Amino acid sequence: MSSHRSTPKDEFLDSVRNALGRQSGSPPKPPYLHLEETLAQLESQAQELEQRVSDNLDALLSELAETAQLRGWNVCRAANPEAAIGYVESVVTGLKVGQVVRSAQEVFDQVPVERALQNLGISVVAIARDDQHTRDQLRNEIIASGVGITGADYAVSETGSVVVMPRLGLSRLVSLVPPVHIALVRAQDVVENLDDVFLLRRLEYHRNGGDMGSYLNFITGPSRTADIEQTLVVGVHGPKEVHMVLLG
Amino acid sequence: MPQIKTQDFFDASALSIKDPELRQALQRVGTGFDNARREAIDEVSAEVWEQWRESARQIKEHTIDHLDYYLELLHDNVTKNGGQVHFARDAEQANAIVANLVKSKGVKIVTKGKSMVSEELSLNPVLEGLGTEVYETDLGEYIIQLANETPSHLVAPALHKTKAQVAQLFSDKLGVPYTDDIEEMARVAREALRGKFLAADMGISGANFLVAETGSLVIITNEGNGRLCTSAPRIHVGITGMEKVIPSLHDLAVFLRLLPRSATGQRLTSYMSMVSGPRRESDEDGPEEFHLVIVDNGRSKMLADPKLRESLYCIRCGACLNICPVYQKVGGHAYGWVYPGPIGAIVTPSLVGLKQAKDLPFASSLCGACREACPVKINIPRMLLHLRQELTESSEPAVNSTPALESILARCYTATMSHPTLLSMGTKLLKLLQIPVARNGRIQKAPFAPLSRWTRSRDLPAVPQRSFREIWRQELSGSNQSHQ
Amino acid sequence: MPSALGPKASLYVTCVIDQLYPEVGVSVVRVLRHLGVTVDFPPDQTCCGQPLFNSGFAAQARQLARRVLLSFKDASYVVVPSGSCAAMMRVFYLDLFDNDPVMRQQANEFSSKVYEFSEFLVKVLNVTSVGAQSAGSATYHPSCHLLRELGVREEPQQLLANVDGLEMVDLPNKESCCGFGGTFSVKYPHISEDMVTDKVNSVLSTGADTLVSCDMSCLMNIGGSLSRQRKPVNVKHLAQMLDREAS
Repeated sequence: MSSHRSTPKDEFLDSVRNALGRQSGSPPKPPYLHLEETLAQLESQAQELEQRVSDNLDALLSELAETAQLRGWNVCRAANPEAAIGYVESVVTGLKVGQVVRSAQEVFDQVPVERALQNLGISVVAIARDDQHTRDQLRNEIIASGVGITGADYAVSETGSVVVMPRLGLSRLVSLVPPVHIALVRAQDVVENLDDVFLLRRLEYHRNGGDMGSYLNFITGPSRTADIEQTLVVGVHGPKEVHMVLLG
Repeated sequence: MPQIKTQDFFDASALSIKDPELRQALQRVGTGFDNARREAIDEVSAEVWEQWRESARQIKEHTIDHLDYYLELLHDNVTKNGGQVHFARDAEQANAIVANLVKSKGVKIVTKGKSMVSEELSLNPVLEGLGTEVYETDLGEYIIQLANETPSHLVAPALHKTKAQVAQLFSDKLGVPYTDDIEEMARVAREALRGKFLAADMGISGANFLVAETGSLVIITNEGNGRLCTSAPRIHVGITGMEKVIPSLHDLAVFLRLLPRSATGQRLTSYMSMVSGPRRESDEDGPEEFHLVIVDNGRSKMLADPKLRESLYCIRCGACLNICPVYQKVGGHAYGWVYPGPIGAIVTPSLVGLKQAKDLPFASSLCGACREACPVKINIPRMLLHLRQELTESSEPAVNSTPALESILARCYTATMSHPTLLSMGTKLLKLLQIPVARNGRIQKAPFAPLSRWTRSRDLPAVPQRSFREIWRQELSGSNQSHQ
Repeated sequence: MPSALGPKASLYVTCVIDQLYPEVGVSVVRVLRHLGVTVDFPPDQTCCGQPLFNSGFAAQARQLARRVLLSFKDASYVVVPSGSCAAMMRVFYLDLFDNDPVMRQQANEFSSKVYEFSEFLVKVLNVTSVGAQSAGSATYHPSCHLLRELGVREEPQQLLANVDGLEMVDLPNKESCCGFGGTFSVKYPHISEDMVTDKVNSVLSTGADTLVSCDMSCLMNIGGSLSRQRKPVNVKHLAQMLDREAS
């Protein structure tokens, strides 16, 4: 019989079990509802979600625009990609920045801001590693930029938030380090509420056998603090100014 | 453990209650935070708010009752994400874990997001002792780090400081020209910390929630420092109490609705960041390593006591502090340790020792406002009563703290109230004793403690000629018809 | 319409009223009788045990609680002119007898019979107007246990609203604790004093002649501060405002 050397984890969990008056670890009975949902159930809920969002899209877009504005976003409703590009141009030129960074997301195919800005003499760096660009170099580009532009993985009407999930082509720092962040939101990115986002994330997690990516950020307005005399100041360590361009 | 000054509560509170600058700062907690919370509740309606509270409470109740299972699930899923989980039974073990990481990974600069647990551990001095530069990056924490003080509130650590005090502090410690313009001071902090964020080897964060289902750590923040600490360095260490876990990502939604509103009245903070392991190979940036340090440090004691268990449901919103008349008047430092206010009056004695913090459970009028404000419906007054009982009735000398005089008074009171003849004798005695001091039905100066403490600012009623029971016997008991 | 065949209520008068404010007890009896209630007063009653319980002396509190349960064992309704005593008996007796299934059962049964005075009038007697009259103005302070442990919020205000001729003025920050808290007031006098000062300032800001509450311990506290400052504000229990024979 091999001796059982207890690890810090065993010791720790034993002391928790002792405190609960339990002998051994066992799952809750009955099992917890949301941990028992099958992939099929999640898929089905996701379909309902999509239906509901599609049925209410106009209302959701309006609510998103209104709520986002209340939360401190500068909101532009762009009827088409040209209007969106026009808005981005005006923001960037108004700030008089020399360099802009952007993520490498699908939305930029629809809304080719890069060319437009370059035509105005503004340098645009796409954050995507390749032979010429290591992680460190890209990081330096971000630090040197006056504006960061991303798409949105989700845009949430309930809260006025843009959700950004860092991964290939989407750096964590693009929407964080430059003092201004512009988020390009397509109608298909919009969901109604927090529950929707978390359902879709869980679906992806379980579809992949237990992976939904390394990081996720909800962005709801500019960076702020009220730590001194509870007086609100906008723009501390994150962007001071955030723009939401709503396509459609 | 940070220095424990809980035994000084009486004296410390007597001083702080007279501090005009502190009182002014504390006023904002009621008119600012608490009012904003009420507005946020009104906006969604009381009915909806109550549904959220009940839902959140049930989630916490379930999770804490099965904490072993969920911690194990969390561990497995964090590991699956490529993260490493470290279990720390106490502060010493937790600090050793982080210190080892610092040493073995060649960490020179650490940026820290807000973490009350790390205050509990007194982690900073340990790391600084290794020659590491440690920078608090939350503005409030940054201010108190410069001032070499401890936080005085769960959510706004520098609440007790006026802008003039912060201006002086920045001028002294950072060498910047004195300015009490708040925007300017925030800009100073931003510039001072910018370089540190980007140069840091390790970022340390706390955790608002831990999602067992997906192995994720969640922080909600406003400034952006939390994101920078968890995104820019090559190592991210999350330090958390073991009670922060929730079962499913589905459950996170209701807590995100409750916590910001309860804390500051915000509908949602500027940022919510969810970390599910270190960066993936395909990520453009992010930490290469993610370590989660799960700390007990006395929480299993609270877990073991069925009457204290619900204190582990706390989501550290600070709503109870903001509404508490005692906290509003004496501030956080008087409580003498990391956790002040109503929840602090339970958590602090549980973690540092009941006798050590014996004043805290009694420093309350039991008004119950805290329980009303609590988003997870923690019955704080009931736990305060439980702790008072422990302190008074424990047979262990290490715990029992009742002054002998009080015990005697309690016994006399009980005896008197157990025998109506004793009661009427007692009343007769009081009527005699009060003769020298009773005027016009009032007593303005009681000759002995504790009544003399009352009469220093308030009148007492004199004992009237006849008690109610005498009037009843003499006049009222005969007739039981209605009077019209 | 009051009737001689009205409900029977046993009065738990509370030791504060019994010993210090007997006139309040008299008003309670008069109001109840006026409404056709047959009132009895179990003579063995003394303290409900709250001061002991709040100070951590649970064993002694249990001794007094047993006495109360015994004194009132034949009661149909137990009417209590105090939010804190009513809360003690309805809510905290169950905690006190946590470890004693027999006593806990008794406490449970007893609990369902306990009514605070205003609660009894409105919820049991279905009365919101007792035909009382008053001149002048008053402001109402809801005591903490009444409000938060018993959930009695509207009833006292409904009863006061129906006192003919009485002008009710809303008390600013009315749900803030007055600072009594039993032994808290003498264990932490500096904090208690600060709290009662806030309450007194709120009362004075209303300009009302009278402060009304359902708890004499609060009124002893706030009234004690008002009289020390020689402020001409009366303090009255709700029963006194409703008592047609009270001057």
